[in-house]
Amino acid sequence: MKRDKPFTSGRAATGRVAASKGMAFSKSPVLAVRLPDWRSRVVLFVLFAAFAALGLRALWLQGMSTGFLQKQGKSRYERTLELPATRGKIMDRNGQVLASSLPVKAVWAIPEDVLASPPEKLRELARLLEMPESELRKKLDSDRTFVYLKRQVEMDVIAKIEKLKISGLDTRKEYKRFYPQGEVMTHMVGFTNVEDVGQEGMELAQQKSLVGVPGSRRVIKDRLGRIVEDLGFSREPHDGKDLTLSVDSKLQYIAFTSIKNAVEKFNAKAGAAVVLDVHTGEVLALANYPTYNPNDRTKLTGEQLRNRVITDTYEPGSIIKPVTVALGLETKRITPNTTFDVSPGYIMITGKRIRDTHDYGVRTVGGIIQKSSNVGVVKISQLIPPQEMWEMYTKLGFGQAPRFGFPGPAAGRVRPWKSWRPIEYANMAFGHGLSVSLLQMARAYMIFARNGDMIPLSFVKVNEEPVGQQIISPKTAGQVRTMLESVVSPEGTASRAQVAGYRVGGKTGTAQKLVNGHYSQTSYVGSFVGIAPMSKPRFIIAVMVDDPKGAVHTGGGVAAPTFADLAANALRAHNIPPDSSVTDIIIPENPLEEGL
Amino acid sequence: MNNKVNIVLAAGLIACGLTLVNARYQSRHLFIELERLQQQSRQLDIDWAQLQLDQSTLGKNERIEQIARTELNMTPLTPARTQYLTEGAR
Repeated sequence: MKRDKPFTSGRAATGRVAASKGMAFSKSPVLAVRLPDWRSRVVLFVLFAAFAALGLRALWLQGMSTGFLQKQGKSRYERTLELPATRGKIMDRNGQVLASSLPVKAVWAIPEDVLASPPEKLRELARLLEMPESELRKKLDSDRTFVYLKRQVEMDVIAKIEKLKISGLDTRKEYKRFYPQGEVMTHMVGFTNVEDVGQEGMELAQQKSLVGVPGSRRVIKDRLGRIVEDLGFSREPHDGKDLTLSVDSKLQYIAFTSIKNAVEKFNAKAGAAVVLDVHTGEVLALANYPTYNPNDRTKLTGEQLRNRVITDTYEPGSIIKPVTVALGLETKRITPNTTFDVSPGYIMITGKRIRDTHDYGVRTVGGIIQKSSNVGVVKISQLIPPQEMWEMYTKLGFGQAPRFGFPGPAAGRVRPWKSWRPIEYANMAFGHGLSVSLLQMARAYMIFARNGDMIPLSFVKVNEEPVGQQIISPKTAGQVRTMLESVVSPEGTASRAQVAGYRVGGKTGTAQKLVNGHYSQTSYVGSFVGIAPMSKPRFIIAVMVDDPKGAVHTGGGVAAPTFADLAANALRAHNIPPDSSVTDIIIPENPLEEGL
Repeated sequence: MNNKVNIVLAAGLIACGLTLVNARYQSRHLFIELERLQQQSRQLDIDWAQLQLDQSTLGKNERIEQIARTELNMTPLTPARTQYLTEGAR
């Protein structure tokens, strides 16, 4: 063996000398003992095996589990940041904010840890969260490890809570929706729930475009928690789109105030009003009373939530008479000067009597509308086949759920013409036996306010004027407008709808409510649909007063003055120049009331 | 000759290394600054939304009418006491 050579070579003679024993190192007797050869081989093998094991391990880590390890490594310094997206704002047509989301925080707790903190801190916490301490303790008395104490807490309160330094208490970022216009605008705008999902109104209708898509990004953070490198977006966040509604805050306020005053003054159950733009078909105002505050919905009732303009139907009553007359004029069966003898104030149809309030004698078509004579309209309707009438209703959108991007519109009810019995057809001519929503009725008046064409309605701002669909001729529309204007005169049924300085026109309607399938003798719906100003129509205003319990209950008595109030303010607010020099309004002492 | 080239290359390498370190440092700094400014922009967005909300709340027609009627003693305009001036007319 080569290894043994140094011990036996000749160099040993000149080798080192063991100092203590005066003897050469190589001569040491210890070295004379020869170890068995296998021992060195074992050592060699063990070392080799150890290196081999290391090599295999390295190969394993590098080759086989590299992905896993790199992931583990990254998770030590990389962070995924959640990037929340904000829900879009809702604005009125002039850019005033109607709904906006602001960041707030939800306070949550690990009950066990929080309960361990000193009682005075808990008392302070309860005070800041605006809840009794007992309620806070009740919430904390839970087996779960995660309990929401309160959601949507505003940031300044959060700052105070964080100062308390209660262990086990934490916050989570979320958004809260604020509605600055409150109860005035809520039936138009709607509201969202705590999860930021639209529940009512436009918030629900436009949920898809309003809601944002939250994103996330990967970053590298340093020791101080600062982001030092951006590894790019995993998902790009997209904020929700802002929404500009057709509503005009000022008009909305005017409509709301008018309807609120009307409900209080006439001791009614409810009221509703809608204002349409004649040129664009935009809904400029939509007011309901009773209403609710969307910012505080703890005591919300269905009655407050109801949107009577869109989701409620009622029998329109006399408001529909101009439609019957328009069809007669359009088909040349009558002219504005055709006369009808409506005496003796009633007419018998298959054994049933249809009445007027007075015996009006011989009247022209215009006179029939002005006095709202049921007998006259029935006589006109007898000249028109039911099928044509039904087609007219359908063209106007009665009996079909309108599609204008607002949730839950009522279709109303118009039965197929083949099943109309003569008495039913006669009733329909003056608005009984069919039902419509107030918005459908207001829209139908488009054909009179415009020159006989109908345009779609919109709840969002319209930038270009829509193209209408011709339903009656401009000539007929003009003739009906003249009649509608005569209704709003001291001699008409809507003398109380007159507006100082402006020419307005419209038609009153009074209908008995259906209670348990029968017409009630004590509950009525008074309504009015009007056009203003008459010289150059700008607004269609529809007003409905539900179940007035005062001295008057007719459309002319309750809805017409509400219309006058609303129209006067709306025209003034929109700087529309007066088109009449009449500034003193004459309302007869005993204004003409229409019959049923 | 060979030695000189080596020295020059070594010096170049060191210089490169140092500029890389510097560039890296600068980029991190700029990135942190960017982050800070983005955060600021988000905060400003929130502030703006808050101010818009305040404007809408304070500019509520209800409030304006209330103040006009009670504090300023104003009354609504009626056509009866309005003088209309028509442009071009004498």
